[in-house]
Amino acid sequence: MQYVLRKMLTGIPLILGVTLVSFALMVYFGPDMTYQLLGKNPTAEQIIEVRHQLGYDQSFIQRYLAYLTELIRLDFGNSSSGEPVRSLLAKTIPVSLILILPGFLLGHILGVLLALAAAFWRGRWADKLIMAIAVIGMSVSFLIVIIAFQILLCSSDGLNLFPVRGWNVQSLPDYLSYIAVPTLATTFVALGYETRFYRSVFVEEMTRDYVRTARAFGLSSRRIFFRSIFKNCLIPIITRVMFSIPQVAIGGSLLIESYFGIPGIGKATYEAIITGDQPVLKAVVSLTAILFVFVMTLNDILYRAVDPRVSLK
Amino acid sequence: MNEFSSVAGARAVNRRNSIWRKVLRKFLADRTGVAGLAAVLVYFVAALGVWCGWWGTDWADLGGSKWEAVSAAHWFGTNIIGQDIFSRAIYATSTAFEVGVVVAVLATIIGGVLGAFAGFFAGSWIDELLLWAMNVLDAIPFYLFVAAVAYSLAGSPYAMHVAMITSFWIGTGRLVRGEVIKLRNMEYIEAAYAIGLSRFMIIFRHILPNTSHILLVQASIAFVSAIKAEVILSFLGIGIRDGMSWGLMIEESTKEVLAGFYNNFIAASLLMFGLVMAFNALSDALQDAMDPRKVA
Repeated sequence: MQYVLRKMLTGIPLILGVTLVSFALMVYFGPDMTYQLLGKNPTAEQIIEVRHQLGYDQSFIQRYLAYLTELIRLDFGNSSSGEPVRSLLAKTIPVSLILILPGFLLGHILGVLLALAAAFWRGRWADKLIMAIAVIGMSVSFLIVIIAFQILLCSSDGLNLFPVRGWNVQSLPDYLSYIAVPTLATTFVALGYETRFYRSVFVEEMTRDYVRTARAFGLSSRRIFFRSIFKNCLIPIITRVMFSIPQVAIGGSLLIESYFGIPGIGKATYEAIITGDQPVLKAVVSLTAILFVFVMTLNDILYRAVDPRVSLK
Repeated sequence: MNEFSSVAGARAVNRRNSIWRKVLRKFLADRTGVAGLAAVLVYFVAALGVWCGWWGTDWADLGGSKWEAVSAAHWFGTNIIGQDIFSRAIYATSTAFEVGVVVAVLATIIGGVLGAFAGFFAGSWIDELLLWAMNVLDAIPFYLFVAAVAYSLAGSPYAMHVAMITSFWIGTGRLVRGEVIKLRNMEYIEAAYAIGLSRFMIIFRHILPNTSHILLVQASIAFVSAIKAEVILSFLGIGIRDGMSWGLMIEESTKEVLAGFYNNFIAASLLMFGLVMAFNALSDALQDAMDPRKVA
């Protein structure tokens, strides 16, 4: 517990850095919002007043500190549509989570399984086939996969099985039919990268000396493979899974959600980008940074659980 | 045999066994890699032709009618407003190369230099600062970062390039840092100190060249990532602003596929897939040839 707290504390410089960069890019050098808030033909006094409200007449440091205190109090204000950012987040984050989770899990689980198969039959046809498909999967753009799956599965030119876009979830079958195509697309794209990565991890472990020793002692390949190699590969696997969480949480869902018109955090972020809605962007950036620190801490704790030699100091 | 010719002989032997020759031999033995290189060169010629004005010049002309089928005049047909899809796809190839090369070269240079500094001064405040910067940039979601950069550069056409370079140097930086930490404790570096070389000279003349295998592979990875990211960013409206790219073609085609016209989508997707696939094959072969520790 003490360790967790200490680890979280070391995340503070990181969060400060992220907020500094996001503040500098999005607020200080960001678009001037003065004239969006003013009506037509404002007087000089009105301009000065709005600029004062927005803090444009203060120094960089003062404005950054104000930005930080807003963050610490989790007071993100209202989005430009007038809705409080907090309720916007509460509404959109769960949608994104249930949307992204199945594809994320499937991608990693299938990736590990395929990589295990490829590594187990290293150099044989199964390995070559899996790796060739992985390279092809890696080379197709995410966007193209989404559009192609949509044409094949949702349009009248294809199988027409699932809704084309949107999000109208009332029951479990609804949910499954809406996430089917996004899940397929994310899994497909992730699979190439994951399989290659995990295979290289397994193969590297397979060439270690202890494997040769175990083989010399007459242990069966299968036993060595699952008893020793797989266990020793858990640390890179955990790291990979954990560190893709922050990226997937925003990056993956941004494209999927804006393409399929699903009201999740990714789409909200995309709209905030397009309209320059700073309170929303601010909240998203800082939450991601906090998530990042959280994930790093959790990662270290999981190391300890998997490998007793790792000590948490 | 006099002394001179034996020195020359030793040099010839050295040259024959030089590391780059071995890499080349290994690379040429890799058929997939050579095929990838050949395909990349074909694309490069296509892009070169656009830069020299040999072809693809009429990509913005409204030469045909709406959605013409494939014909001798329009090899891939025409799009919704009658522009020739083949010219647009070829022109987009040059855009892809511009984005890929600019991002790959600059990201690799920055990553190499900063990574070398971090590694050489590992444990000091320079290293701490650079590591902090890497972590901070890693913690910001990529698409959000691009959008933020696009804003602060007030819609500059290079906002996307700047954002990609700022995020893509990190991977290279981390790898180079790790390698330099190993290199700086080697005897030849000690020897370089002993003969009075400056640290600057040691880093740039004696350490960085020894990381070139990492730099080359990372540059090829950055090239592919940049092309793939360009397509998504252009589609989202925060990428290429003027000109034509595969991402913009796909964006255009999403309105067309709903009406059952696929030429634009297929042309852009296949061309992009071909280049990325070829480059992936090339990059894999480079890694196999240059990384002594990599086991296939």
